[in-house]
Amino acid sequence: MMASVVANGNQDGQSLVLNGVDPETCMIVFKNHWAQVVKILEKHDPLRSSSMHPTLSASAVQNYVEHMLFLLMEEESGQGGCMGPILEFVVMENVMERLFVWSLRREFTDEMKLEQLKMYEMLVGQARQPLLHHKPILRPLMMLLSSCSGTAAPAVEAELVLLLNQLCCILAKDPSILELFFHTSEDQGATNFLIFSLLIPYIHREGTVGQQARDALLLIMSLSAENERVARHVVENTYFCPVLATGLSGLYSSLPTKLEVPNEEWHCLHKVDWMRMPSLVQFLNSLEFCNAVIQVAHPSIKDQLVAYIYNGFLVPVLAPALHKLTLEEVMTTTAYLDLFLRSISETSLLQTFLSFILLHQHESVYILDTLVSRINTPFQLGTVSMALFRTLIGFYCEDVMLQLILRYLIPCNHMMLSQRRVVRERDFYSTSAAKMLALTPSCCSPDHSPPPLRQLDSILFSKGGADTPNSSNEQKSFSEEDDSSGNSCTIGSEIYLDVSYLHYLYDARLSISSCIRACQVWSALYDAEDPPPEKYQPGVLEEPKLEGRQTQTALKRVPKLLVSNARSGLPRGEPPSIHQLELEWDDSYDACPVQTTETPVEGKPAHLSPSEPPKHIQEMRRTAIMLVKGSYIEENEFQDDVMVYNLVAKKDSSEAEHAEETQSDPAHAPLRNGLTLPTSLVSDNDKNSLKAKAKGQTDCNGNLQNATPVESGEDFLAQYEELICILDSEGRGKRVKGDRELNKPVSPVEEEEEEEMDFMSFTAETPEPEKLQSPFGTVQRLRSGSSNRCYSVPFTGPFISVLFSRLENMLTNPLHVNLLLTGILAQLAAYPQPLLRSFLLNTNLVFQPTVRSLYQVLATVKSQIEELSASRLDFPERITAAQHWLLAREASFTATGDNNRLRVKLQCEIGFSDRIGKGWEPLP
Amino acid sequence: CSLPPFDLFLSRPDEEQGGHADQKTSPARTSHKKHLPPIPKNAVPITKPASVGTPSHLANGTHASYGPFYLEYSLMAEFTLVIKQKLPGIYVQPSYKSALMWFGVIFIRHGLYQDGVFKFTVYIPDNYPDGECPKLVFDTPVFHPLVDPVSGELDVKRAFTKWRRNHNHIWQVLMYARTVFYKINTAEPLNPEAAVLYEKDGQLFKSKVVDGVKLCNSHLFDQPKVDDPFAISFSPWNPAVHDEAKERMFTFKRRPEEHHKGAQVSGLSWVKPGSTQPFSKVDSPQS
Repeated sequence: MMASVVANGNQDGQSLVLNGVDPETCMIVFKNHWAQVVKILEKHDPLRSSSMHPTLSASAVQNYVEHMLFLLMEEESGQGGCMGPILEFVVMENVMERLFVWSLRREFTDEMKLEQLKMYEMLVGQARQPLLHHKPILRPLMMLLSSCSGTAAPAVEAELVLLLNQLCCILAKDPSILELFFHTSEDQGATNFLIFSLLIPYIHREGTVGQQARDALLLIMSLSAENERVARHVVENTYFCPVLATGLSGLYSSLPTKLEVPNEEWHCLHKVDWMRMPSLVQFLNSLEFCNAVIQVAHPSIKDQLVAYIYNGFLVPVLAPALHKLTLEEVMTTTAYLDLFLRSISETSLLQTFLSFILLHQHESVYILDTLVSRINTPFQLGTVSMALFRTLIGFYCEDVMLQLILRYLIPCNHMMLSQRRVVRERDFYSTSAAKMLALTPSCCSPDHSPPPLRQLDSILFSKGGADTPNSSNEQKSFSEEDDSSGNSCTIGSEIYLDVSYLHYLYDARLSISSCIRACQVWSALYDAEDPPPEKYQPGVLEEPKLEGRQTQTALKRVPKLLVSNARSGLPRGEPPSIHQLELEWDDSYDACPVQTTETPVEGKPAHLSPSEPPKHIQEMRRTAIMLVKGSYIEENEFQDDVMVYNLVAKKDSSEAEHAEETQSDPAHAPLRNGLTLPTSLVSDNDKNSLKAKAKGQTDCNGNLQNATPVESGEDFLAQYEELICILDSEGRGKRVKGDRELNKPVSPVEEEEEEEMDFMSFTAETPEPEKLQSPFGTVQRLRSGSSNRCYSVPFTGPFISVLFSRLENMLTNPLHVNLLLTGILAQLAAYPQPLLRSFLLNTNLVFQPTVRSLYQVLATVKSQIEELSASRLDFPERITAAQHWLLAREASFTATGDNNRLRVKLQCEIGFSDRIGKGWEPLP
Repeated sequence: CSLPPFDLFLSRPDEEQGGHADQKTSPARTSHKKHLPPIPKNAVPITKPASVGTPSHLANGTHASYGPFYLEYSLMAEFTLVIKQKLPGIYVQPSYKSALMWFGVIFIRHGLYQDGVFKFTVYIPDNYPDGECPKLVFDTPVFHPLVDPVSGELDVKRAFTKWRRNHNHIWQVLMYARTVFYKINTAEPLNPEAAVLYEKDGQLFKSKVVDGVKLCNSHLFDQPKVDDPFAISFSPWNPAVHDEAKERMFTFKRRPEEHHKGAQVSGLSWVKPGSTQPFSKVDSPQS
């Protein structure tokens, strides 16, 4: 009340009135008021039984204080920046502290806090001279703040955060106050940078309070970039980074585990989608905040935060979430991951996410491998996964491309030895382009399409010399007047050209040039010489060095308070590696009642009982096993993707249907017979590949008895979760659900199989006869990054395999799948690395017989189209209708300015993503 | 050798000189953007597809209408090769109006033709690369045994009796044009007078050459004969225009890496050079 009166007074323009009053008068008034206040304070000490009614005395004090503060606020600083007389008096008499102590002795209600906070907020925000430099002002402020730390009343919280925000603004403008904040008082408790610590609980808050807190924290973060001391304090003495990172986990757990997908075509979360989901908006806010912190903060804070995000969010929460048990859940997680990747702008945060995808192994399988294998999932998970890879490839990240494709091409095993020099050759006369374009189905060739779809435009293109039949259509002559040499330079003969092809070229040129520019930061050329094919060593991929280092530092810097609180009774000082292992304890069942994360409050080891999983999980597994044992294994028929996709198209995923379908097509059975693998392994692989496709997961191995007890007792993360619960009232009950939904551990033997599983599907699924030759030895090499083995047998990697396999099925794919596919292919085709370019686009390059080329795949598709067009009478009309539809689609994208999708669309309209576009930008 | 004299500048400072142009900003792109309008807004719909030039399929199944694209691509590729060769003292630039016509200039820095600055035009046959070899015609006929005294055409054919795709490139023609000024060949001359003089009266030949060079240089600042925005024209040194361009060229030459850094918009790499492992860079971009 007191403060509000003052505030109103100010708004009423009393300051103007005051302006006319001379400083000495003000001083006298102030002193008088203070003398009155002191009298009341002395007479009516609330602790003593007072004669005066406490409320009366309070309102009297308020009255005086109100005026006093006003006078103080309005006072200009003295000459040479020294204190004005009123301020000096306030400092000498310790006015603020005495007032605070007095109100503290009375009943210190929320209302009182609110008043005091408002008072300071006004004083700090509007004073005309710096006040915070003076301990007699700063100290009571700090006492007030610290008395508000445990507050729960929303109004007090709001006012507190507002004041803190204001203090941070002042700090940012005048870092010299910083020292004072560190030194003010020992009363501040364990931490000595109170305003910072007070803000932490509001990091993940929704609404204005959260936003103000985050803004204020960001101010301190940018302060830390220049002030080592702040940085050290944040890293060593506060929970800032762990709270941020585990907060992500908490918020993630409140996201819907299953998205309501608007339609079949949906494959990624656009803004319109996530704007409708408050929990997702909140998560993205926090992610954006992390992003911003990493952008502005001191490197040590950045390192710590990134490490905590890796070990506190990605590994323990996102990894298991990517391996949940139902298709929908996994699809949802994939869509989230894609959205997160697209939301991040800061390189080191992106690096963290990417290294998680590329290097982290969940149950001994690389996340990347799992994601790749899901592209072939004949459900929406497949398209969502494709959209994720579209994002990944769009980063122009060498590391991603290396793991995804290039490492399989570096050894040059996919081509004949003599062909290596061809890799770098330039196709001067577009022979490859001509070959690719010749794959255009006759129904789509330019002269078959009716107008107005094939608009023709002229480009200026001229000859020096005699006319050719081509140029005779229309001629404008720009010939120079008097070239005595007789070299008539006929310029401007115009040739009609296909507009859509021009569009395509223009678009291709754009993407190629931006890709080339982006790839200039890459470490190597990938041109069959650099890196040298012979020396290529797959090497063992390890969890990021960065992670180890950062975890170590992070752990070293665990706030003492935290350790003593949360880990009491536990042995301490384990090497970081142990912690890291423990962070991956994730072995509980989905919705398993055992709450790993809630126990450590007492410092008790979060222990997972090896008890049976809940009923519904068991049920799900049983179904899965039935699927596996009941039909697919015995039929050995899962390799035929076309069939599976047909099933999907029929919207029928029931076991019976599957069984029927598979049985009805025994033609492919011999495929498996030629293989030399031990039968047991084959069937295991079958089973697994089935799972990968049908269930979109890699973790239900059907061996329920395998659950091993886990020791996640000293789990680091748990401490932070607990912390969050303590610090953030909102965080209560939002524990990391993901942790509880972790999957069962798998024995090493099974892991082996799982690893192979993903890739069995790649080699075995293609019905092409040439695939018969594809030796199963590849499987061993396919063990992706984990393998040290030589890449002696030609193989271009699982990603290319999966991509080609889906491409081959273009005719049976739904349109949106094809759009995604051709979009990804167009992205790949824009990469300038000779190894990749030659593999995709050089039709002169001679590959090893077992290696399938893009040209071959497209030729297959072409012949399928020709067959179809011959067999259907209404085909031309349908083509026309389709073209109209595509044009309308383009128009709608252009209207909404959705360039990204437009680009994809344009690339698709051409039908085949060839590389003619290079014409406008010859590569170096 | 050395840079061209700085009092001689290409007339369009916005275009980098061919010989020094980095591939990222090659004039080629600029010029060809003009050939290929981004989105032809004024596209006139042709109602009869029959009116298309020659909608026939070639023997290899390629649609004929792609031919011009292939041709233009070939020329672009050739131009890129020229740039990469960094031929000393030679600068070329395709015409605005046709990719088949390239404007060029050659600086002769020593020998008989020292200080010669000869402008020329390259004409490329429209059935390139399957036709004859490109023609190279000097704007002002140079007094030289192999240069036609009337047309100014250099006898290129003697060096490229048959133009072979994949083996012969336009930069070789330019290289040849440079060579003839340093190593004079008098066999089967296009200019018998020059050939005879060179053989019989070196002094007179030399003085005629010097006169020719002088004449040529005196017309250096003339407007180009061809009305083409990309034609090469010289202007006297004008500090207001040229100082800045010179400065730019030199800064670029000295710190090409910084230039690259500045131009980098996206793209990520944490791969240590020489390694094939992702995230192998010790010093990740954290700092």
